[in-house]
Amino acid sequence: MAEAVVRVKDLKKYYPPDVKAVDGVSFEIMPGRVFSILGPNGAGKTTTVEILEGLRTPTSGQISVLGIDATKDYSSIRRRVGVLPQNFEPFDLLNPAEAIAYWADLFGQKMTKKDVEGRLEQVGLAHRKKSMAKNLSGGEKRKLGIALSLVNNPELLFLDEPTTGLDPRARRDLWKLIEETKKNGTTVVLTTHYLDEAEKLADDVVIMHKGMMIAHDSPAQLINKYGKRTAIVLVDAGSEGFKELSRRGISGVVDGDDVIVEVGDPSELRVMFAKLSSIDVKYKEMYTRRQTLEDVFLGLIGSKMEEGVLQE
Amino acid sequence: MNKILSDTVSFGRQYLRTKVGAFFAFIFPVLLIMLFGAIFSSGGGTGVSLPIQNLDSGPFSEILISTLNSTGYFEISNISTDINITDYVDDESLPLALRIPSDFSSDISSNQTTIVQLYGDPTKSSYMVSYQIIKSALDQMGYNISGGAPLADITQSSGADVLEPYDFLLPGFVGLTVMINAMYFMTSTCAEHRSRGYFKLLATTTLKKYEWLTSKFLFNSAMLITSLLLTFAIAKMAFDLKADITLMTIALVVVGTFMFTSLGMLFGTMVKDPESAAAVSNIVGFPMMFLAGSFWDLSAAPLYLQVIAGAMPLTYLNNGLRDTMIYGNETSALVNLAIVFVLGLIFFVIASRLMSWKEK
Repeated sequence: MAEAVVRVKDLKKYYPPDVKAVDGVSFEIMPGRVFSILGPNGAGKTTTVEILEGLRTPTSGQISVLGIDATKDYSSIRRRVGVLPQNFEPFDLLNPAEAIAYWADLFGQKMTKKDVEGRLEQVGLAHRKKSMAKNLSGGEKRKLGIALSLVNNPELLFLDEPTTGLDPRARRDLWKLIEETKKNGTTVVLTTHYLDEAEKLADDVVIMHKGMMIAHDSPAQLINKYGKRTAIVLVDAGSEGFKELSRRGISGVVDGDDVIVEVGDPSELRVMFAKLSSIDVKYKEMYTRRQTLEDVFLGLIGSKMEEGVLQE
Repeated sequence: MNKILSDTVSFGRQYLRTKVGAFFAFIFPVLLIMLFGAIFSSGGGTGVSLPIQNLDSGPFSEILISTLNSTGYFEISNISTDINITDYVDDESLPLALRIPSDFSSDISSNQTTIVQLYGDPTKSSYMVSYQIIKSALDQMGYNISGGAPLADITQSSGADVLEPYDFLLPGFVGLTVMINAMYFMTSTCAEHRSRGYFKLLATTTLKKYEWLTSKFLFNSAMLITSLLLTFAIAKMAFDLKADITLMTIALVVVGTFMFTSLGMLFGTMVKDPESAAAVSNIVGFPMMFLAGSFWDLSAAPLYLQVIAGAMPLTYLNNGLRDTMIYGNETSALVNLAIVFVLGLIFFVIASRLMSWKEK
């Protein structure tokens, strides 16, 4: 079995007098996977990641990154790690081509003009290579940030909330980039508070809340474990519809004017649809309600969603 | 490219792309030296305005006015005799005015001491200079009338007797430019890097803190030497400048830049945003501008001020520059160069230790 790229054991980060930003978190990240840390604002995601990036010192705990003790000798692996920090701001008065060449020099990485252009092409900034960074859009700035974080061809890439504040199209562009990076064999650690992003990109998800890890698994397993079952919703079927279904031996629940019929296994959906279609029940429409990470969150930490973002 | 060199080039590129940066690096020193040149160079002056109310109708008041005229220091005008001079000085906000009493000539003729009255603002330097010149003119007139002569006299000279007052100001001007550009600039750069997250970003690379600090020093040195040469060339063309840039001047500018860049970094470890950077730089920079002998000789200052000046890094840079540019005293300049270097080294080491790119 492959060695874990990151091992975290009982990680704690306390601030005086009594703030427990991270409180006893443990996990492992396997190579070539996208590992997502989810949680509402203030959950401890960024603190955890910045400790793994060597940018913060933990209060206690064992942290191994790429096989070395990250609390002691981070400089020996700095060349193998890429980082896009939270709220990344590029140097305003450098254009993307200059910024990439500069960043490559800071990693002692030789990059020809063609290499730089290739990198710009990869992140979709070739047409903006001579624009000053201050004139780039939010999405383009973030793309430049990813280009910088990839300049040293890292084995391990940290992306701290890379799509926060971006429009849906820019988010999807960045998702593509992250998927491509994963395909190239890079391990990606992604913190986000967008649940759809984690569900789409992550192989493994850790859910943090108030400095603690409250769940850890693949998105599908988390949904299976903590989410409600897949269901068929009969809109506006009302109590009449409920009675009719009960008479036919189909169990359901009334939710307002709707009737919800849970299905144990998604493979049984087709059969259940056929059954329901054959019964003479009046309803406006019928649709499948699939459980998402959002439902898992609502169940696990009682957070609420505002525009797709978790809030305490 | 080497990391330090790449950081220097990249930083310089950004700096020079800011209009403010280019202005303070190259245009501001030129404007400042042109201004100083215009004020202190010998040619083209119109003299100090001295309105005189002459109430005397005798010959001696005319002799006094003629003597004052011959000094070339004053532009003399008349105040009508029927005006109350005190009210007139207040109404016109005159910095200077002279009243010659009606019995001026008759008192002199009868060997009695006569008093002329100088009005104005004694806190202004022109008042005190004018007072001394008028007093000298009265003494001279006394000698002429009595047929006597002073027992001893004084003539002007200096180490290089062709130097103008403007030449003496130049070293202080160079020292001040080094301080402003290196220290203010570094403090604000650190604040900007911290507030915009650039330090955190740099911490994710293999660039070391000392390499970053070194690149800032290299950039500042290159910029200040270029700025100095440009400014000096323009001043040389515009004015009859006699002071020279020596190799020691260049060495002092480089070492001075090292010292003030390091000091700026040290302040930069304490500031979190550009506003506090400006405040910290001003708290230190302003007293240094006035107390480190940039524009006037501190030997006439009270002892406690001289002690304070001795604690100011700019004093040693100014002294060294004056030693080499004015007096050609390279030995003394070397001593000051060594002091500046040691101070710079101390600031650099402390700044390197205190500066943190990481979060707590």
